[in-house]
Amino acid sequence: MRDSIGERFAPYAYIAPFFLIFGVFGLFPLLFTFYVALFDWNPVAEHTFIGLDNFSRLFDDPRFWNAMRNTVSIWVLSTVPQLLIALGLAQLLNHARLRFATLFRMSMLVPYITSVAATTVVFAQLFDRDYGMLNWVLQQVGLGPVDFVQSTWGSHVMIAAMVIWRWTGYTTLLYLASLQAISRDIYEAASVDGAGNWKQFRYITIPSLRPVIVFTIVTSTIGGLQIFTEPLLVSRSAPLTCGPVRQCQTLTLFLFEQGFGQFKFGYGAAIGVALFVLVVAFALLNYLLSTRIRREKP
Amino acid sequence: MNCRKAIAVLVAVTLAAAGCSGNDSGSGGDPKSFEFWSFSGINQKAGVDEYQKLHPELKIKLTEVGSSVETAQALTTALAGGKVPDLVLIQGDDLPKFVEQPQNFVDLRSLGADDAKLDYLDWVWSQSVAKDGQVLGIPTDVGGLAIAYRKDLFAAAKLPTDRDAVGKLWPTWDKFIEVGKQYKAATGKAFVDNAATSVFYQAVNQGEMKFYDADRTLAYDRSPQVKLAFDFGLAAAQAGITAKLSSFSEGWSAGTAKGDFAVLAAPSWMLGGIRSNAPATKGKWDVATIPGGAGNWGGSYLAIPKNAKNPKAAWEYIKEMQSPKSQLAHYVDAGSLPSTPSVYKDPKLTSHQDPFFSNAPTGKIYTDSLLGLKPFYIGPDSSVIGQEFQNAITNVEQGKGDPAKAWDTALQNIKTAIGK
Repeated sequence: MRDSIGERFAPYAYIAPFFLIFGVFGLFPLLFTFYVALFDWNPVAEHTFIGLDNFSRLFDDPRFWNAMRNTVSIWVLSTVPQLLIALGLAQLLNHARLRFATLFRMSMLVPYITSVAATTVVFAQLFDRDYGMLNWVLQQVGLGPVDFVQSTWGSHVMIAAMVIWRWTGYTTLLYLASLQAISRDIYEAASVDGAGNWKQFRYITIPSLRPVIVFTIVTSTIGGLQIFTEPLLVSRSAPLTCGPVRQCQTLTLFLFEQGFGQFKFGYGAAIGVALFVLVVAFALLNYLLSTRIRREKP
Repeated sequence: MNCRKAIAVLVAVTLAAAGCSGNDSGSGGDPKSFEFWSFSGINQKAGVDEYQKLHPELKIKLTEVGSSVETAQALTTALAGGKVPDLVLIQGDDLPKFVEQPQNFVDLRSLGADDAKLDYLDWVWSQSVAKDGQVLGIPTDVGGLAIAYRKDLFAAAKLPTDRDAVGKLWPTWDKFIEVGKQYKAATGKAFVDNAATSVFYQAVNQGEMKFYDADRTLAYDRSPQVKLAFDFGLAAAQAGITAKLSSFSEGWSAGTAKGDFAVLAAPSWMLGGIRSNAPATKGKWDVATIPGGAGNWGGSYLAIPKNAKNPKAAWEYIKEMQSPKSQLAHYVDAGSLPSTPSVYKDPKLTSHQDPFFSNAPTGKIYTDSLLGLKPFYIGPDSSVIGQEFQNAITNVEQGKGDPAKAWDTALQNIKTAIGK
């Protein structure tokens, strides 16, 4: 009898640490954010209940919509090329006759394990207006220097480049793993039937990769909506706004600026809630799309 | 019984842990110890070590929290959470937010700050005084203000190079912009690093009223000095004399070394930055007076949070280490400018020269720049307002903003930002 009680409760004890930690560091802050968002919350003074005022202010705030546009723009600029490049690289790495395959596959992860701060510093130098290598190359081919950090598109491209550099290798390995799970027999059968490389890629590879493509789109969406460190470090002179006209201020950076730059915790929390709703909406959309894709599968 | 035993062990461990933390918080009441939060990178440890040597019986726990902004953030969290240091260093730009909520700090008048008041510059002192008269902090240093310029580049543009003659070139900001145009015409290169920081941000601090009026109500849209400074900034931005490099950006550091601009607004602490950004330019720089004559940028305060365990010991530290005599000694050792005008005539300060800047008498130049300033109120939204004005000027400088609409855009952005 005693043993059976122990057996019944032991599994809960084993998984308890995760739930405790999640409760303390995940669930509680989440719920508390919803609560704080209803207040004019000065961390060192009064907390005044103002209902949904933070949200109505937020929807009228041009800075919020600007941050939203920037976030989506940087997300598109970084995710689309990243997934395409990763797909191509995975194809290459999966090649049967590739020499030093393990070395190349390992090296894919180097950008991923490099600190974001170090990456940003290096990219900021590459993209510098006066002394950056990229502008030097541009000038060699007769194009004037581009002030990447100060322009909207330039700063978005620059941040997207950092994200691509960092995440492409990781995505490549995910694709590679599922490429290797595709049976060679299918390709052989296809080439016997006269399908060329492109047709094989289009009708065998892509459909087999569908689940992992959906997965990478979901993760890169969630990651892309939360992009923070790169824009924070791009503009040294105005870090919290990512430049004088908030040209690359993302939603998380806007949240940080309001919450911890200006100590408007209530307003910052409201931005956090808006971001939460946005991520949930994207996740739902992805879920619907992916279930449809799964159903379409032969 | 296994289960019960496990519970018993768990309870015992919990109690032990609780016991530990209980002891931990209990030890802070010791009158012979205090906890001090400061910024990193300013070698606060030297001062603490010195004080420690004089008072070996004390136990001082110094924590270098991070940058000045990070220290203010940590202090905010600590004030909200309840576990605070006994003594904390707050940078001038972060101070107004705390002055607005004086209930979080010890009124230093209760410890004898009134006696010390006359030792300090009045306008520096007034910035840490709350609405009800409570004194929150004691000023540890100030920045002063001057213009650092490249003598070799001035010579190339056929401009005078002697620091007195250079100072006479620009008694006003209008003249400063004129000199910039001459320089640009002669060399084709940018004169000053940027318009927002080196012109607007300096000029706006030279009046009697900044973003608030004497009654501490918002006045940024009707303060004559603000409009004047904004127009100077716009004029500099449109004159094409700026290198369009925002202060402290990567390109700005590189440009300082490469001579991409010939002058920049330089408070005393900036000289160290120039030295480390451009070590190869030693001897090519000099320091001249700023247009408008006086100015200040920077400076910090020492404050004691309300829930400090040992405010007495913290106050003793302030009293001893921030006296005019100690500030002078600290200036000689570390170069941070005293906030106590009584030592400004001391030969130790006036005779101080900086070899990197052509032996300029920096002690005298910077302390002179502090004497003409008038007190004005700096409020909780001052830094946001200043930032939005600077952003509007930078936007024009970058060629994107319409100069005719810049002022209205700035006012609109400020209204959005402060929600009033």
